[in-house]
Amino acid sequence: MSDPKNDAGTSQPKAPANDPKKKEEEDLSEEDLALKQQLELYVERVQDSDPGLQKVALESMRHEIRTSTSSMTSVPKPLKFLRPHYGTLKSFYVTMPDSNLKNYLADILSVLALTMSAEGERESLKYRLLGSEGDIGSWGHEYVRNLAGEISQEYIKRQSEEAPIEDLMELVQQIVSFHMKHNAEPEAVDLLMEVEDLDLLVEHVDKANFKRTCLYLTSAARYLPGPDDMLVLDIAYTIYLKFEEFASALQIALSLDNMQHVRQVFTSCDNQLKKMQFCYILARHGITFELDDEMVADDEDREALQDIINNTKLSESYLTLARDIEVMESKSPEDIYKAHLLDGRASTGASVDSARQNLAATFVNAFVNAGFGQDKLMTAPADSSIGGSTGNWLFKNKEHGKTSAAASLGMILLWDVDSGLAQIDKYFHSNDNHVIAGALLGVGIVNCGVKNDCDPALALLSEYISKEDSSVRIGAIMGLGIAYAGAQNEQIRSSLTPILNDAKAPLDVIAFTAISLGLIYVGSCNEEVAQAIIFALMDRSESELGEPLTRLLPLALGLLYLGKQESVEATAEVSKTFNEKIRKYCDMTLLSCAYAGTGNVLKVQNLLGHCAQHLEKGETHQGPAVLGIAMVAMAEELGLDMSIRSLEHLLQYGEQNIRRAVPLALGLLCISNPKVNVMDTLSRLSHDSDSEVAMAAIISLGLIGAGTNNARIASMLRNLSSYYYKDASLLFCVRIAQGLVHLGKGLLTLNPYHSDRFLLSPTALAGLVTMLHACLDMKAMVLGKYHYILYLIVLAMQPRMLMTVDENLKPLSVSVRVGQAVDVVGQAGRPKTITGFQTHSTPVLLAACDRAELATEKYIPLSPILEGHVILKENPEYREDS
Amino acid sequence: MLQNLETVLSGGWLVKESAVTVTISVKWRKEVFKSVKIDTSQPPYVFKCQLYDLTGVPPERQKIMVKGGLLKDDADWSTVGVKQGLKLMMMGTADEVVKAPEKGPVFMEDLPEEEQALSLGLSAELFNLGNTCYMNSTIQCLHSVPELKSALLKFNIYCLSCDQVLRKKYPQFSQLHNGVFMQQDAEECWTQLLYTLSQSLQSPGSSASVANVKSHVAVYARNTDKILSNLCLTARIHCQDSGEESSETESTYFTGGEPFARWYLTIHFVRFFWKRESNQKAKILRKVDYPLELDVYDLCSDELRKRLEGPRRILRDEEGKKLGLKANEKSSSSKDGDVKMTDAGGSSNASGKSSAIASQEGAPSDKETCLTGIYDLVSVLTHKGKWIEFDDDNPIPQREEDIVKLSGGVLGDWHMAYISMYKSRTVSM
Repeated sequence: MSDPKNDAGTSQPKAPANDPKKKEEEDLSEEDLALKQQLELYVERVQDSDPGLQKVALESMRHEIRTSTSSMTSVPKPLKFLRPHYGTLKSFYVTMPDSNLKNYLADILSVLALTMSAEGERESLKYRLLGSEGDIGSWGHEYVRNLAGEISQEYIKRQSEEAPIEDLMELVQQIVSFHMKHNAEPEAVDLLMEVEDLDLLVEHVDKANFKRTCLYLTSAARYLPGPDDMLVLDIAYTIYLKFEEFASALQIALSLDNMQHVRQVFTSCDNQLKKMQFCYILARHGITFELDDEMVADDEDREALQDIINNTKLSESYLTLARDIEVMESKSPEDIYKAHLLDGRASTGASVDSARQNLAATFVNAFVNAGFGQDKLMTAPADSSIGGSTGNWLFKNKEHGKTSAAASLGMILLWDVDSGLAQIDKYFHSNDNHVIAGALLGVGIVNCGVKNDCDPALALLSEYISKEDSSVRIGAIMGLGIAYAGAQNEQIRSSLTPILNDAKAPLDVIAFTAISLGLIYVGSCNEEVAQAIIFALMDRSESELGEPLTRLLPLALGLLYLGKQESVEATAEVSKTFNEKIRKYCDMTLLSCAYAGTGNVLKVQNLLGHCAQHLEKGETHQGPAVLGIAMVAMAEELGLDMSIRSLEHLLQYGEQNIRRAVPLALGLLCISNPKVNVMDTLSRLSHDSDSEVAMAAIISLGLIGAGTNNARIASMLRNLSSYYYKDASLLFCVRIAQGLVHLGKGLLTLNPYHSDRFLLSPTALAGLVTMLHACLDMKAMVLGKYHYILYLIVLAMQPRMLMTVDENLKPLSVSVRVGQAVDVVGQAGRPKTITGFQTHSTPVLLAACDRAELATEKYIPLSPILEGHVILKENPEYREDS
Repeated sequence: MLQNLETVLSGGWLVKESAVTVTISVKWRKEVFKSVKIDTSQPPYVFKCQLYDLTGVPPERQKIMVKGGLLKDDADWSTVGVKQGLKLMMMGTADEVVKAPEKGPVFMEDLPEEEQALSLGLSAELFNLGNTCYMNSTIQCLHSVPELKSALLKFNIYCLSCDQVLRKKYPQFSQLHNGVFMQQDAEECWTQLLYTLSQSLQSPGSSASVANVKSHVAVYARNTDKILSNLCLTARIHCQDSGEESSETESTYFTGGEPFARWYLTIHFVRFFWKRESNQKAKILRKVDYPLELDVYDLCSDELRKRLEGPRRILRDEEGKKLGLKANEKSSSSKDGDVKMTDAGGSSNASGKSSAIASQEGAPSDKETCLTGIYDLVSVLTHKGKWIEFDDDNPIPQREEDIVKLSGGVLGDWHMAYISMYKSRTVSM
């Protein structure tokens, strides 16, 4: 048996002097004293030579511990009293011969190690592995949790030593199964992530906990580095599929951008109604997806589904929403400016038409009446006086302004291809090239996000891309880019790529061709397009490289890799060989595009690093770097807030070219989400002494309030309009911003994130980023003759509605609760998902942080997230209250 | 409708059954023409003529979209790949082609620099030429009298450099002080201008209108607390019209018979006062209240009161009605230039512009109009200020307060009213 000297050596708990211990003993109640003595007796008996006695003692000890470890608010009494004897038992354990009893003792030692083992020793795990493999949960949660922690440490150690891990994994199995049964899904997932074996999870989830598990997985994915996030999402996808939660599985497939998975969702589900819901999700995401007979067998069904994906009915439901909210009446730019609310000077219109202000009015009118099919400037009633006001307004714009004016008709008739094309048709016969260019662009805008079997946009536009006049060409090319964004259409590629390498083509045509190709092949990593753009960049002369338009080429290249992370590396390598004038710019653009929407902290730091440098040679790459911070960090709320803070610092310490980009970055971070702190910052910057900073801030005020009708921003802008009434350029920006704030009379959003901020629509982001890049050099682009680049935001425009439809896809009005979304990740039970809600009946508008839930049990929604179009199925178990 | 179309189809166009016919559907705008028969042995132009019958769109204006391309007039159907039940889309309208107007608008950006500035200037094109605010404001004030404006237009007077003409005619305005023209009293300018106008506009009607404006009441700010503070008017009111001068009385300043202040009544606050002891002009900062609506009934002679009673009653009735009906009384705005007091040694600038408050009452000439003795404030000539607008449809009390604030008082450096012009309310009988 053990001798006392040895004891003193190994056990630390015995180390404290006797005095305090005696005092403690005096404090003990009778009951505790009895327990203590009892336990001491057990310890002594365990060391007895009689196995019978040992067994009884061990079992009693075990009993004592088990009954007490259920609660862990304080250290359980038996553990406390056994503390001095931990060392004794440990040394006794070494001397014991192998037997059941030894395993028994190991179990107890494992539990005792929970409180007594020295930091980093992982004794609990050691004895657990040595002991009997009994039910792990019988020792209580705290024990399991502690064990899990030790396992992950041990795992790392063994990985580095390349030691076998089978025994650990067995334990992991037990722990995971225990956690999953006891509402501790996050712990189970964490452990499995530590030991890099998430697949185990699939067999442990059940109907009761898979939703919580997947919710934890998907939200954890945002914070995981590199390939891990994909893996985690993949597991979530598998789990959803296993439990036939197809709509959620589809969302994950979309966030993985894995078309194979999307297919699988369609093939594994055999419910037509559910498939319709999938189609709505796909349509909102804005990707091109062709159904085949494997996914949907029946021809007619497939056609109906494909129609939904093609967004053919989007215009209709948008107008239904507008009628329900009673905002059908057209608004004129004056209704938006609300000059009568200003005291003073801006009240009377100038006696002479200003082309700049008319152009601003054109844009405001287009943005405000977007998608409504009627307005007060462009669409005159058919029977109006000769010539109609249409012609009049169009010709109140000057030269290239007419392009934007004609194209604005496309914006007003957005998504309504049939009547849109009919109304734009008349401009095709104009003899003014600017008008034709506008008509072409308008056709593209009308078809934005809407696909049609006849491909009218392609049919109409393709013959104009090789016309003589470069404004007509740009109109057609941009039109194609907008109409087929994300479509990866081979036919268009083969007709556009030759332009890029055409030595005779003017720079602006090349730049817009590249952008269009970037949009059409957004996030595709298409080699051929990338090659073509790279060659186009290399062909540029020294002087051309200094042009602001040339900067669209690297952006186009970046769009090809939007959100594709490592895939960009080969191209980034090539970009190092570019002329140094554009090299860094290209680097920054590629980096920021490739990691856009990933929330990758390392990339944000990298970009911040670039912004910290002080440049002397007038380089321009810091602008895209600042925008890049926003693009990368916009992925999740926490990173978003952090980068807003970082941008504040850049404002303080950055140089002018950085300060000019900061407002735009803020605009992207909070797009259609007017956060008060950002609003204040931008309002401050809108009076900046540097007019470019002020312009960017004003445009960004429009962006953060886009489609919200936010009264505060509206009044800020109104005041700015009188403040800047003498400065035509700044006033133009103010007008554009006013138009944005009232985008679609407040029914639209520009946020590329949807489905509870989980999915990022690549085309929407591409459109926004291009527009913001153009704003980096406001004077050359937006205030110059390329103002129509502003129309690219049409790619991000989506109704911010919840429209419930019945099984025949007819609008169905039900009451829903709309409130602030609450983060319920990792919460046990059935926590409330919204707070401060109001009850409305659908269709209803959803603000940036809103979430909706059905207020009636009568229907079951087919989508887990109530956004956009949601199909409702009658609840068979519903009983009307009488 | 569709049936009708099909008759057209089969009747109007003899589709030979023997030929290879394919039935397709064509979508045009929101309409879908089902079962259109194509004779594939004929060129697509024939098909387009078929569609012309259906839609009224001439073939050359038609754009027919077949899977990513346009259908050419001479294309071969076999290459297009028509098949039974194919859906085609047609674009095109019979609408008139948009033509540019013959004369395009002139844009501000095209104008030479000076004119750009002019068109931006929102203050009816008057600029402070260095202490000429007294003139500007006076002209602005007169600008708000539509009758005068139209009379002037008849004469086609084109004043190139108003200030020079003025100075030539009235040398006292060319008084120099430290090399710049001195600040002058707007009232003097006002009087002189009106005098000139009444002299030069000698056509019937116009002279009357000038005379109307001339009816002038001067209120000596020195002794007055409130104009027309009903009974205790302790002012010496000098009524230029009658040439009377009287004090401490509320009696008959407005005697009957005479077409007193038919349209406009200007009240001059004589705020400048020659201080004998210091030999300089002093400004009287005393507060003089003036109402937005001036009722001179109490100042009228009995005879006149009798005559006024009828119209006043009608007016009251009308107003009562209007209050009930929320009549669409037009907004009236009075505005003042934005010349800073600090620039060039102080300046006063004011203008009044009203889009005829009394649009209904401003009776058409063929009806007999009657005066009611009630006047609406249309413009206030003051020192420096902001444009003030008040909307009768949507009265904003604060705005009215702003105007009344101009009445002067303790705040010495606040700009205040010099001349206020009232427009008469009339009723047509």
